[in-house]
Amino acid sequence: MLLFQSEEWIDKWCKRKDLERGEVLTIHQVWDLSQLWYQDRLSMDYHGRNIEQVAEVFKQAGLTSAFWYLREGLD
Amino acid sequence: MTNDSLLWQVRAFVYSHFADTTHPPSVEETAKHFNIGLEEAGALYRELHNRHAFFLEPETLTIRMANPFSGVPTDFTVHANGRIYYANCAWDMLGIPAALRTDAVIEAVCTESNETVQLEINNGQITDYDLLIHFPLPFARWYDDLVFT
Repeated sequence: MLLFQSEEWIDKWCKRKDLERGEVLTIHQVWDLSQLWYQDRLSMDYHGRNIEQVAEVFKQAGLTSAFWYLREGLD
Repeated sequence: MTNDSLLWQVRAFVYSHFADTTHPPSVEETAKHFNIGLEEAGALYRELHNRHAFFLEPETLTIRMANPFSGVPTDFTVHANGRIYYANCAWDMLGIPAALRTDAVIEAVCTESNETVQLEINNGQITDYDLLIHFPLPFARWYDDLVFT
């Protein structure tokens, strides 16, 4: 995932790389997502996530567009 | 590999080692810690790689990433708990203070302008800064090419 200072820099990067634009989130949205995604990562009991658990994290973070649809689980 | 109890103990050891030292344990260190042979430790590393618990450098037993931690220097530096960590990407630079549950000062490079920016996590709040994070690939393709992702 790539950091940018503005929308303009994202457009320049996509044009230079000849790539379509993906999903863009604010730093605050990603901080919220990070806390949901990583808060239990150091726990002995963390064994990864299945599809349903990943979908629930995205839902809690407000990420519900097709971009976040799942093919298979695990992280 | 069938000893899942040991498997997840190794996963936890790798993450604990990253948190405590900022870098991953070698397979030799892991074998010594658990008092097992190198061959068994290597098999456990490969199994955890296959399960996406962490990711090895191709054709090696060197841990490249245990998200959010990076085993190699990157453009995403996280100062936390008196240590300097490297994150795999712009998301993971926030994932490190989230995983460690601590304040942090983060220095990162804008992908296109190449300017270094700094932000902070204080008491669970991120400093007000108008940065954006671009996810180039949809979730379903994240594991096609992890380094690009």
